[in-house]
Amino acid sequence: MKKKLLLTALTSLIAAAVFAADAPPVGSAAPDFSLPDANGKTHSLSQYKGKYVVLEWFNPECPFVKKHYGSSNMQNLQKEFTDKGVVWLTIDSNAPGTQGSLTPEEAQKVATSWKTHETALLLDPEGNAGRAYGSKNTPNMVIINPEGKVIYRGAIDSKATPNPSDIPSSTNYVKAALDQSLSGKSVSTPETKPYGCSVKYKSS
Amino acid sequence: MKCRGKFARARTRLLPRNCRDVARVLNISVKLALRHATAGLLCWLVVAVAPHGLAQTYQGKELVKAELLADTTAIVPGKPFTVGLLLRMAPGWHTYWKFSGDAGLPTEMKWKLPPGWKIGDIQWPIPLKTIDPGDIETYGYENEVLLMQEITPPSKLDGSSAKISTEANWLVCEKICIPGGATLQLDLPVASTSQPANADVFARYRRLLPQNSPGPDVARADWSRVGSDLRLKITSETLVKYPAIDFFPLPEQQETIVGHPAVQSRNNNEIVFNIPLESAPKDLSSMAGLVVFAQQPNDDDRAAWQITSATAVSAAQSAPTRGIFTFLLFGFLGGLILNLMPCVLPVISLKIFGFVQQAGQSRQKIFRSGIAFTVGIFAWFIALAILLIALKGAGRDVTWGGFQFTNPYFVLALSVIVLVFALNLFGVFEVSLPQSVTRNLLSTSERKDLVGSFFQGVFATVLATPCTAPFLGTALGFAFTQSAAIILAMFIAIAAGMSAPYLLLSAQPAWLRFLPRPGPWMVHVKQFMGFLLLATLLFLLYVLGAERGLEGAIWASCFLLVISVACWMKGAFVVPTASAVKRIVVLVLMLLLVIGSAVYFIGDKFQSAKIASAESQSAGDWQPFTPERLQTELDQGRTVFVDFTAAWCLTCKFNEASVLESHDVREAFERHGIVKLRADWTNGDPVITKLLQQFGRPGVPLYVLYPAKNEEPIVFPEVLTKSMVLDKLETVARGVASNRAASR
Repeated sequence: MKKKLLLTALTSLIAAAVFAADAPPVGSAAPDFSLPDANGKTHSLSQYKGKYVVLEWFNPECPFVKKHYGSSNMQNLQKEFTDKGVVWLTIDSNAPGTQGSLTPEEAQKVATSWKTHETALLLDPEGNAGRAYGSKNTPNMVIINPEGKVIYRGAIDSKATPNPSDIPSSTNYVKAALDQSLSGKSVSTPETKPYGCSVKYKSS
Repeated sequence: MKCRGKFARARTRLLPRNCRDVARVLNISVKLALRHATAGLLCWLVVAVAPHGLAQTYQGKELVKAELLADTTAIVPGKPFTVGLLLRMAPGWHTYWKFSGDAGLPTEMKWKLPPGWKIGDIQWPIPLKTIDPGDIETYGYENEVLLMQEITPPSKLDGSSAKISTEANWLVCEKICIPGGATLQLDLPVASTSQPANADVFARYRRLLPQNSPGPDVARADWSRVGSDLRLKITSETLVKYPAIDFFPLPEQQETIVGHPAVQSRNNNEIVFNIPLESAPKDLSSMAGLVVFAQQPNDDDRAAWQITSATAVSAAQSAPTRGIFTFLLFGFLGGLILNLMPCVLPVISLKIFGFVQQAGQSRQKIFRSGIAFTVGIFAWFIALAILLIALKGAGRDVTWGGFQFTNPYFVLALSVIVLVFALNLFGVFEVSLPQSVTRNLLSTSERKDLVGSFFQGVFATVLATPCTAPFLGTALGFAFTQSAAIILAMFIAIAAGMSAPYLLLSAQPAWLRFLPRPGPWMVHVKQFMGFLLLATLLFLLYVLGAERGLEGAIWASCFLLVISVACWMKGAFVVPTASAVKRIVVLVLMLLLVIGSAVYFIGDKFQSAKIASAESQSAGDWQPFTPERLQTELDQGRTVFVDFTAAWCLTCKFNEASVLESHDVREAFERHGIVKLRADWTNGDPVITKLLQQFGRPGVPLYVLYPAKNEEPIVFPEVLTKSMVLDKLETVARGVASNRAASR
């Protein structure tokens, strides 16, 4: 019995180390990461301390992501808040070879053709940043405050469908959280169940 | 070449397979431009006559083929049948379950039904659980799945055929996700009889449907909340024999975000799941889901039990909306009737007896005595009302009646009082009580009389409390939903009803002329009354036995024996003719004796007497009631009759003996296969208390008939009659039988 326990404990520890999928809860410190963008420049979360940071997990092939980009909903959101000084980091954590994973050239192409407005499109083919945040879906949104704490994580809006026609009638949780935070109020909905395709992590 | 010449989009394509073949044939002999047009036209023609199967293709590959099937060859008006959405997926591609997990989207169906048609919920087969890198868990189906729904046509259908259509939407994923959908139709002939169709495929997926969780003798589910996690413990020897057991959650509320359930621990008769909650309402204490068990995970032969989040025991509408004055009237009448209740009669007889004694006294005295008695009655009721209002204000669940009798110490105290009274009537000892013939005839101290009358009133009321008379049940249920003022008014009305006869009698002593003059007969009657009180004592001992077991009753009896001895000591030695010293010594001895035996028999022995667990008791064909048991029986399509009773409830005993256990009624229950459950409220079980409140009753008796799973329960009045019960049983049984016949 003891041996079994020990074995289970060890395997869980290893599994935990491998996957590290325990998402940082709302209110806790956001894990730091360092990732290159499509132009080769490295960005780390710590360099943006003192600013609001939005992390958006991305997969250009996913219908739920295309819902927000095809309708310009995502780009508008990005522009609105980057204009207000919010740092918007789009992250692609899909493993190389999977649909949705981007090489730097492909990433530049997508950004241009889709007229995106994020601060940087970061490439995370190893999946480390994704796993550190327990990000399982695209789109998955995490908002970090200037003190480095997670203040929102979850879905972008309230209707979990791939239909752009549902956007006008949905509550946009990211916009709500940012509007509230920027005006000094606390976030009324700090956590929701994210929806979307699964992130295609590299299998270890 | 694409048939309709449209660019490839990630959106759904609804094309029959044959389109490509049509194009290929045309390739051979027709010019290019014409090829497109003709191909397009032919494609449309093919689509028009194609069967109700449509395919979702992506980049030339067919991902999902969707079809609408029925399990019958024809539609019989009024007879339900099953339709199913058959999804055939390309290898490696998945569609999703009712709860898709970390990613994905459940399949949805929007039905367009003509008026009069009814459709049930989707019956989801047990899904497969997939774990992808990044610890992403999803629940869904691969290769093929049939999502069934029960559909009921109206009982009158025009035309020789009927068409029903649905818009199905799904998400199919492999390495990427593609949303898909199809509008599917079913066109079936209308006939008076039908044969099964597609039996194989329906049977295959019916086997994969979760079963209702079995009864408490096979498995028990216990929920608990440990911090931010839920724990589900299933106690079942049969379940833990399976190597692969898992819990698939079905969170109900929008705000609940569930993590990955995992087995926390298991041994050879129970298994505990830990269900992490990433976000949930603070009071969430359980979650619906499936307990899936098989020889190995995702086995073809997997089975599952459906776990519901809370047992839905629906209550009928509470007290009917009558005016408040009607309720007060009921209270008054109820109070009147209380005088006749078996538990009150012995004391009341003493009071009437008292009036007989007073027949020769002054009118004022008699009247004042009557007033004192009335005040006693009012005092107790008002005190009770105030206490209950205070408790209600403090938020406690309060009921009247059972409230006192569920406490064994209260019953014990009553037993002592009743015994002492009886001994006094037998003449074992004398006290300055109004009942004492000699003293009364010689008495000049009216004050003692009044005090005595007052306490008689209190005593009579105390004994009456649990015998909630027919009118009182509804009246009190209503009162408890109202304000404190109304509760007080109600209790005053009851007190008025109960004291009315005596007040009248004492105000009109002329009526006393009809009672015989005092004489030796009074001694005999007095002694006989003692036996009536002993009968009450027997009843109280029976209640004690029900509450604390045989041991408890015996220890209590030992204590009562000592009390008897003490009374004898009083009667024999503490008499006016004895010296003061002797009297004091005996009194002290009595006190020591009583206190000593109280400490030993009651404080120690009675306290520790425990009754055997109520669950294991089942009297004859009555099974012990639990909400889970009720739900199980209903889920299995049975009609259930629940008898809410208590050992101290005499109305209950009366109903049971005269109606429920009568030959005709028992036979009717058996004939209709009605399950009989008994809810024993003797010890004040809080679960039963809650149910009583839901039905608007402050106490027992309560009789509820649950005809079938989703039907309103039928509530019987507090006093049953054979004809009432037999009639209702017949009506319900007929109703259930006709429903069953219609669903075949």
